[in-house]
Formats: sequence, C-alpha cells, structure tokens
Amino acid sequence: MSTEVAQRYVGASVARSEDPRILTGGGKYVDDVKLPGMLHAAFLRSPFPHAKIVSIDASAAREAEGVVLVYTGEDLEAMIRPGPYGISLMMNQDKPAFSCLATDKVRLVGDPVALVVAESRYLAEDAIELIDVDYEDLAPIATYEQALDPTNPPIFEDLGSNVLAESDLHTHGDVEGAFARADHVLSVRINQHRHQNVPMETRGFLASYDREADHLLVWSANQGVHLALHILAGRLGLSPEKIRVRTADVGGSFGLKIGATREEVAVAAASMALGRPVKYIEDRYENLMASGQAREEYLDVEAAYSDDGDILGMKVHMVVDAGAYPGMAAALPTMVEGMLPSAYRIGALEFRSTVLVTNKATYVAYRGPWAVETFVRERVVDLVARELGMEPFEIRMRNVVTRGEEPTSMITGRSLDGVTVRESLERMAETVDIPAFRRRQEAARAEGRYLGLGIASYIEAAPGPRAGQSPLGLEQMRMELDGDGKLLVYTGQMPHGQSHETTLAQIAADEFGVRFEDVRVVVGDSDLVPPGFTGGSRSATMAGGAALTTARALRAKVLELGAHLLEANVSDLRIEDGAISVAGVPSSAMGLAELVAAVQEPGRLPEEVDTELKVANSYDGGAGGWSGGTHCAIVEVDVETGLVTFERYVVTEDCGKLINPAVVDGQVRGGVAQGVGAVLLERAAYDERGNFLAATFMDYLMPTTMDVPNIEISHLETIPLDPDVNFRGIGEGGMIVAPATIVNAIEDALAPLGVRIHEQHLPPARILELAGVVEPE
Amino acid sequence: MALLAEHGDDAKLLAGGQSLVPLLALRLASPSVLIDLGSVPGLDYIRGDDGHLAIGAMTRERTVERSDLVKSSVPLLSEAMPLIGHLAIRNRGTLGGSTAHADPSAEIPAVAVALDAQVTATSSKRGERTIPASQFFQGFFTTALEPDEALTQVRFPVAGPGTGVAFEEATRRHGDFAMVAAAAAVRIDDGRIGDARIVTIGVSDVPVRCREAEQALIGVEPLASAFEEPSSLAASACDPPSDLHGTSAYRKHLIRVLVRRALEKSTRRPKEQT
Repeated sequence: MSTEVAQRYVGASVARSEDPRILTGGGKYVDDVKLPGMLHAAFLRSPFPHAKIVSIDASAAREAEGVVLVYTGEDLEAMIRPGPYGISLMMNQDKPAFSCLATDKVRLVGDPVALVVAESRYLAEDAIELIDVDYEDLAPIATYEQALDPTNPPIFEDLGSNVLAESDLHTHGDVEGAFARADHVLSVRINQHRHQNVPMETRGFLASYDREADHLLVWSANQGVHLALHILAGRLGLSPEKIRVRTADVGGSFGLKIGATREEVAVAAASMALGRPVKYIEDRYENLMASGQAREEYLDVEAAYSDDGDILGMKVHMVVDAGAYPGMAAALPTMVEGMLPSAYRIGALEFRSTVLVTNKATYVAYRGPWAVETFVRERVVDLVARELGMEPFEIRMRNVVTRGEEPTSMITGRSLDGVTVRESLERMAETVDIPAFRRRQEAARAEGRYLGLGIASYIEAAPGPRAGQSPLGLEQMRMELDGDGKLLVYTGQMPHGQSHETTLAQIAADEFGVRFEDVRVVVGDSDLVPPGFTGGSRSATMAGGAALTTARALRAKVLELGAHLLEANVSDLRIEDGAISVAGVPSSAMGLAELVAAVQEPGRLPEEVDTELKVANSYDGGAGGWSGGTHCAIVEVDVETGLVTFERYVVTEDCGKLINPAVVDGQVRGGVAQGVGAVLLERAAYDERGNFLAATFMDYLMPTTMDVPNIEISHLETIPLDPDVNFRGIGEGGMIVAPATIVNAIEDALAPLGVRIHEQHLPPARILELAGVVEPE
Repeated sequence: MALLAEHGDDAKLLAGGQSLVPLLALRLASPSVLIDLGSVPGLDYIRGDDGHLAIGAMTRERTVERSDLVKSSVPLLSEAMPLIGHLAIRNRGTLGGSTAHADPSAEIPAVAVALDAQVTATSSKRGERTIPASQFFQGFFTTALEPDEALTQVRFPVAGPGTGVAFEEATRRHGDFAMVAAAAAVRIDDGRIGDARIVTIGVSDVPVRCREAEQALIGVEPLASAFEEPSSLAASACDPPSDLHGTSAYRKHLIRVLVRRALEKSTRRPKEQT
C-alpha cells in the first residue's frame, strides 16, 4: 500500500461545510421537523424543592380546549420500566429508584409532575395551569450541611440518607513522608459553584409511533443516537430494532444532551398511546431550571510544600452536590482523583470523596466535567507562590514534569507520555513578558489601579494515554463510494458544534484521494450510522483515526478493483481528485463514478473479486495521548465597582497535529468564553430553602461578545506518538483551565489588599467583599 | 382609547413590546385584550414646546438617542439613551412604553424624575391630564395611570445654560439593567453650583431623587473634594434590595461611587453640554 498521501486538506483551515446552511438560517433543528398530525407536549413542574404529592386533580385539564391526553406519574408507571435516564446510563448505579414523572414526591423545583399533550404548545400550557396538585412540604435539602445532617429526611428513601456515595481513603505515594518532609502545609477549602450547560438550542424531542408497523421514529437533539435509542428501548420495553433515532442539526450541548431524559421518555410513551407524533421543545425556563446543572463541589485540601516551592503532596476530601436524580456526579471523584496531579511532580496524594443528594437539578456532564481538579490545583499553586512570595510562573516551572525525565506518570498512575505543559509554559513566557508586566503592575498600583496576571496549565485526556490504562474503546466507521463516485462517511460521532462534517471529510479526502467537496459525512441516524457518541474530547483521535484507517482500507479495495480494470499493478496506481490512474499515464485516468459503474457491470470482473465498494472498520485509538497547555489572563479590577476587564488573554496549547486550525481556535475560544462566564457571570443559584433563583436570562447571565476578550492562540504541534494518528481533541480544554486562569489573575490584581481567593464565582459584589471594601452579607 | 375604556384592567397597551412581550412569554402577564399602539398615528414626535421638549409616547428610543434636538435641549436624556439595553431593543422600545412600564432600574424614568418632567395621561372619558414625574412612579411597575388611561407624551424641561449632565451606570454586562445608576444634572452659576439634580435607580421600587445631596451642593465650588459628602448622603438616603446581582451593602457602596463619578463628570463639562 502506498503511504505517501498528499496532505491537501488536513492542516488547513478549510471553510466549514456546516457554515453555509447554519449561518444563513438554513440549519434544521428538531423544532423545524414537522410531521402530519403532530401534537405538542408541555409539562407541569413542581414549584417546590421537596414535597409529598398528596393528590393530583387533572380533570379540568383533560376537558380543556385542544387537549388530547394528560398523564400523571401514576398513569405512566404501568407503561414505563425502571432504569437509567440521561447520562446515568453510563454510570452503573442501581440506586436510587425513581419514576419517570414524579409520583410519591417532588425532589426539585422543576421536577416534572404531569404531561399534557394538546393540539398546540399554547393550549398545552393553558391546560397545565388547570391541574391542581396538593403538596405537603418536606424539609428541603439545599446545602452541603443539610445533606450531611442525618436528622433530615432522605430525598430517596432507598438510600436511607442523603449520602449517595462515600469512598474509602485512597493513598498514592508516600503521603506521610511528604508531609513530614514539608516546610509548610497549606490548608484550604476551595469551592466551585453550580453553573450549567446553556446550549443555544434547548432540548428537543419528537416521537412518532406507527401502530401498524409497531415502529417508533424519534427526532432528538443529542450527542449520540444509539444512547438515546437504548434508553428508549429499555424504558418503553421496545426491542431496539423497532426504534429509529434521528437528529437534525444540534445547536450545542456541552454534555447535556446524552441519552434520553425522563421528559423525553414520557413524550415517547404518549406518542405510542396515541399513535400520533408528539413534539416537546424545552423552553429556556425549563432548560435553566431542570435540564441539568454541574460543577457544584468543594475540595478540602492540605498541600505540603517546601521553602523552595516544591509541592510534595496533597491530602484531599472532595464533596459533591449531585442534585436530585442520578446524573454523572457519582463518577466524578474517581476522575478528579486520577487527574489531580496533572503534569506536576506531586509525589503523594491522599484522596477520599463524599457525594451528596440535594433538592436541586441533576448534576450532568458539562464541558470538562472533572475540571475542578485543574481549578483546585492551579489555585493551590498560586496560593503557595503567594505564601512564599515567589512568582507563580516560577513555581509552575519548578514543579512541572520534563519529557524524558522521571516521573513519566502521575502518582495516580496515569502516563504523561507526550505531555508538553513545560513547553507551553515556555512558549507563554516568550509571548507574555512577565517581568515587564510586573513593572507596569507596580506603576499602576501607585496610581490606584489594580492590574493582575494569572497563569494556569492543564492537560485533558484526548482520548487519554494507552499505557497503564484500560483500552480506549473502539471507534467504528463505515465508508462507501456511491454511484457518482462520491465518498460517503458514516460516523457514530454526533456533532453539535465540533465540525465533524468538515474535519472528517478533510481526513477522508486526503487519505482516499477525492476532493473535499466529494465527501459527505453522514451523522445522526440510528438506521445508518454505527454506534458511537461525541464527548470527552475523544473524537479527534478516535474518529480522526477511524476516518484515516477506513479511508485507507476502502482505497486499497478500490486500487485492487482498479488494477483489474486498468490492467495494471496496484503499486502503479494512484487515486487523485476523484480519478484512478496509472502513475505517469494521465490518459489512463478513470473517474471514480466510471469505476463504480464498471465494477457493477456483469462479467466485467472475475467472479472471485469482491466488488462491494464499502468498508466497515474500527479504530482503537492508537497510542492515545493528551492535549494540554497554558492560559494567561491580564485583567484590571476596578476596586470601586468590583468590575473586571480583560486587557489580554493568551493561549498556548498543544492538541497534536491540527486537522483544521480554525476549528481548533473556535473550540478554544468557546471554552474560554464559558470560563469567563463561570467566573464573572454564570451561577445556577438556589437559596437555602432550595428555591431556584436563576430561571431567566436576567438572572443567569451568559457572556456576550462584549464580555469575552480577544483571545490570542498559539499552537505547539507536539511530538508524534503514533505513526499516523496524532490528532488530539481540544473540545474541553478552554473551559477546564480558563476559570483558574481568570481567578488567578483577579487574585494577583488584589494581592496588595491581602486578598486570597478560595472560590470560583466572583461577581462584582463578591470582589469588593474580598477586597474589604464592602461588608459581606 | 375606547377599547381601553371598555376593557380597563383586562387590557394591556402594547408599544415596542420590549418588556410586555417577555412577560407574556413567561406567562407573568395574561391580559385578555392586547391593544397594539403601533398603528396609532400622531404619537411619534419630538418638538419644542414652551421651554420644554415634548416627546410622543411612541417615539422609538433609538430616535430619541439620535436626535440632535434632544442632545441640545435635554442632554441628560441623550446621555441615558445608549445605556438602555442593546441597539435592537432601542430600535423597538419606546420612550412612553419604558416610562409607563416603570421598571425601577430603567433609565428614562430616572431622567424624568431628575428633571421634573411631566407625563401626559389621556383617557377617552376625561381627556388629558398632566402628572408630575415625581408623582407618576408609585412602586415596582406601578404608576399613577388609571386603568382607562394611556401615557401619550412626556415633557422634559430644556436645560439652562451652564448645565452639565452625566449618567453613570454599573452593569454586570454591556446592555444589562443597571445594578445601580446615578443621573446628575448640575448647573454652574459664576463658578458655584446653582442647581443640582441627582437621581439613583436600582436602589428602591422607584427612581430615588436625592434631595439632601442636592441641597448640600448648592453654592458649593465644584471641586472633587466637595462631592464626597453629597455622595454619602445619597447612599444613606436608600436601603437598596439584595439580589443575585448585588447585595444591599454593595449597592449602597455603588450609589456613593456612582453619584460621585456623576458629579465629577457633570461639573467637568457644563460647557460642552450646552
């Protein structure tokens, strides 16, 4: 096989295939799908965080104009089998038990209590107001303390308490030795606040059950059609081949749209009962209140360090607020524990965790779900620097691993092969003149202006190292040549902003030898695409590798056929620009469409030749690997108003070989924007009684283009670990490291006021409290 | 007006729809009758009127913002307009709609109260009456309008010579409602402050006129050092609410900072404003 491939598309900022339709308003989302006879669903949701349902009277709603069906939780019990919803499908949790819609009690503000299906969404919402529910208040569990108090009622009876999971103490390395050797120990509780995925497109779901065919067609906004299919099959008791799940364009997700939710299963059940299509489009109020939230946890940290700034070891207790229903919280501590040392020579770690149930929205995956490891570690590094009066950058350079030297793995066992955090720090120091900034900062302080510089580093498993790990999984892909000689790529990836239609086509076009325009990437249809899902920054390596190897396999097959048709040796053939030819003999060229036709002509080829122009393949992730890098923010804090402005934001990152630099930069920028939001604007706030306070965009503030700084990005294209596949994902990194970067910069600005920051959310009022200007409430 | 008289409390007037439509979408308002003022003629004007500038209720905020007449006659209003929401909002939103909606964080009511503007209310039965801005705003989203009355005009006094203005806001993001804002219009006569008008918003259920602070400024030389005490007086006159965007103590602090900044700015530039 020829391995010389002209790299025409990979590495270039090829304009996105998705853009023309999406940017001109031609994108098609679930809400744009309209089926004949379609009905509309709306949900009655609990106004209380924790209450018994004494009775539900839906009789007036059933009689209301345009109403076709009303289901309470009890009505649905007989139709739905217990089991996981959403991302908890991946978690293997057998407890707690709960129902599709609330039956005995409600467990958060927004808990779905009843479903109304009507001729229009307006009429469905009108009818919702006619349902009379008699609630009996229960003590709300809305804080860590309330959840840990054994005298409070359990939110789920079968758990017996509000502790969902508690780990043993895990010890890595010589923890006692590290603390004995240390000159100092920093003890601190570092908080991360609840915030959430706010995709531009909310959740959307359309179920259409055909009674005659006993077949359920579903349109759903999701990150992987087969995950949704398996939940629907399981909860509805249908065999998987009776269900087809399709997606339209997906307007963002960030981890939210995984599997099928309780609401979606209820809607599917209604469609099955009615034999008509039923659509449910979550509104923004529901999205903010009840679709899922993330990030609420704290880490109690003791960090042992030397006079010279060596961080010797850490003792950590992680406590997570998992919200009410099972999401991904139970899986978090293990991820955080494994990642906490990151690219630093932290030689000892003691870790334990407690996961709590509360009357809040379910803890779901949100871009870099384990990111608290980076926030806490990078805060600790800066706090240590401040205690020692050292430059935080110098502490990082002291502690960061060097390639080719021990240690080559984290003390928690994960290999650091190919990690280039040190190089990204060096690049940052070349890009940002830190000593010059310090001089400017000093001069500004003399004028009463508070400038700060913050740096933070991270790595993300993209898809993660192979060494010392369980297998990376298999990414499946199919490719075929159609009658026009175009290359069809079937992937289980479900793009929701990642640009797979472009990036996978770039790889396939280069490897196969067709024009980019002649590749069509097919996604989002369980009848057509192999199983898979998009998440965890895995797809650059996994789907990129699958595209590369599958295109090669199909190319080999086509060359074989071409050898027969052109009566030449395979080694003399090439495929370029959609035509196969004998090298050096342009007149021999045969277009791929012509080849397809010739192959199908009876008698043209010997019997024994495989003439199917299709390949199904899978890719195991090769050597795997990490992405990572360093971010730097320069901010100014107005100590009269507490408002923060950015002067500069710089990213030096390494995601290996860039498939499409513009797409990579877009991922970095989007992640940083969410980090800006997390620190300065976004908080899914509850009061101590469990009332949700941030249910509109006047309360839950998203960063706009006016709030996000210009982001300067430079790429380190790393050391290849694999002969072919060195693309690594970058989807989560921006969001993982930006919060630490920005908080580090704010603390640096306020350092002359003696400020130490142990939290992530810093609205202006909080900044002035920390600065001692305003009394805390 | 007949429709309004007939339906009274059951009806809502729809002007630019920048506040009412979101309330309808959230089902916080569900009037049985919606009266669209969009096609009512004669409510879209800006004209001089006996030492005042009269602005028709349906004049778009963007029109007010871009009006040279407003800029030269009522500079405080000009100064406030770009701070209202975003461009798309100001293209639809109207001066009368914002005034009648009476959001306690809205800019136009602040200007109206600061300048002692006059609000014209019209009903089909009783004709027109004039309500001073100081009496018009009665609480959160509550005004002196009767159920059968529509706000048809707001009249702002024309600024006298030597008047400087400033509108200082602290917002979480560009275009948000202010956590706190301070409006100031200060007239300098012979090097000393002859008249001062200060209003803060986001601090109570209505725009708050800071009369003690105003008094303290009369006859004072406009030096930075002279503004500390009036700013503190303005802050102590209020007991602002706490919410997600800022605690009461923070807002009180902001009043002091923003009133001081507004006074510094307005007294720096009386010349350029007149």
